Amino acid sequence: MTNNDHIKTARKAAPNTADHSLQINQLSVLRGMVLVISNLSHQQNAGDICCLTGPNGAGKSTLLRTIAGRLPAAGGHIACPVPIIYVGHTDGLSGAISGRENLAGWAKINGFSTTETAIDTALSSFATNRFADLPVRVLSRGQRRRLALARLALAPADSLLLLDEPNAGLDQASSRILDDIVQKHAMAGGMVLAATHLDFAAAAKPRSLHLPGLVT
Amino acid sequence: MKPFFAQIERDLLIAWQNRQDLGVMLVFFVIIIALFPLAIGANASVLDPLGVPVIWIAALLAILAGFDRLFAQDVRDGWLDQIALSQLGLGWYALAKAISHWLTAGLPLLIMTPLMAMMLNIPLQQWPPLLIALLIGSMGLTLLGVIGAALAEGARRGTALMALLILPLAVPLLIFGTLASQSDRGIISPHLMLLGAVFALLLALAPLVAASALEIGETETGL
Repeated sequence: MTNNDHIKTARKAAPNTADHSLQINQLSVLRGMVLVISNLSHQQNAGDICCLTGPNGAGKSTLLRTIAGRLPAAGGHIACPVPIIYVGHTDGLSGAISGRENLAGWAKINGFSTTETAIDTALSSFATNRFADLPVRVLSRGQRRRLALARLALAPADSLLLLDEPNAGLDQASSRILDDIVQKHAMAGGMVLAATHLDFAAAAKPRSLHLPGLVT
Repeated sequence: MKPFFAQIERDLLIAWQNRQDLGVMLVFFVIIIALFPLAIGANASVLDPLGVPVIWIAALLAILAGFDRLFAQDVRDGWLDQIALSQLGLGWYALAKAISHWLTAGLPLLIMTPLMAMMLNIPLQQWPPLLIALLIGSMGLTLLGVIGAALAEGARRGTALMALLILPLAVPLLIFGTLASQSDRGIISPHLMLLGAVFALLLALAPLVAASALEIGETETGL
């Protein structure tokens, strides 16, 4: 099988960086009958921030969802030994309950710390305390985004953050907070892969992975 | 087990915020039961043997009517993506969904049943077998509904598709349930045991079927 061949080459090519790194080898992904990602290889080590760029439809979201295990790979191999935190287009918040209840429930199903202080600290990371006790359905797009991103504060230090357009809907102050959190996460030995424009976390000089887009 | 109970807790919180849905379901249950005597006419010799079957049909329809949005909201919110990456896993998630749905739909229905039994003039000694059979039957129907909701998730006309998929599969529950409810050999009748067997089978199968249905459905419809 071709799949097994890819696994073997991955092990041969990078024998000593496999512990805490993301390895993508010759990945191909189909959406419908269209090949969206073809033969993509990418490697990321602990402490790396990488920006995923490319035109609309180039497969940025598809790549993030494939790494998150939500889409099957048509070929190739992905290895990621660390926990994955995914913040996609949809925020993963229920409109019926409050932001605090959403965040506490998320922390519980992931087995993260759910003490009052841990949740409060996470909520205050994006200054959401003022509206964290309101039902999410009354909040604006940007406020929901901030609640979704408050999860990052609960992520384990070595985890891989997959962020899909994290800045969408955020005001300038919140974007700066996001840059700050992402850089701190990388400095603590975590990895970040974000589909976004290039001035994201600029101070940390992120690498860039460009998807040219196969469909025009 | 903590993530499992966290999912149930979350669903109960959401159900409490949407508690008017429960009222709609209970009124639906009562109206179906109230319509039967009106259609059949005031003839006690015809109506008396129909009491238990009418309650079962009404419970079947009322329980299954609440299932069309069981997973849809979580898919739209992106919660399912978070579940798939969490410690919980889709199988346990589906089972947690079944339990919280039974607590918020099946259990209130069961509490309403004595009132309906009184309305239909079902003799008092028939109540215990009816309630026990309906307890197991409603749990079985909930598990069937979870399978149907997972299979129909993401499909157009999901509700109609779900009814087509699930109603034929509900036949064993309905047959053994009504027989066990009308048993004159005490509460633990052979029919109740068969009903329990169907429930046990569903309990083992439903989370697995629902999990793989959600897995496939998500890869086809996800953003």
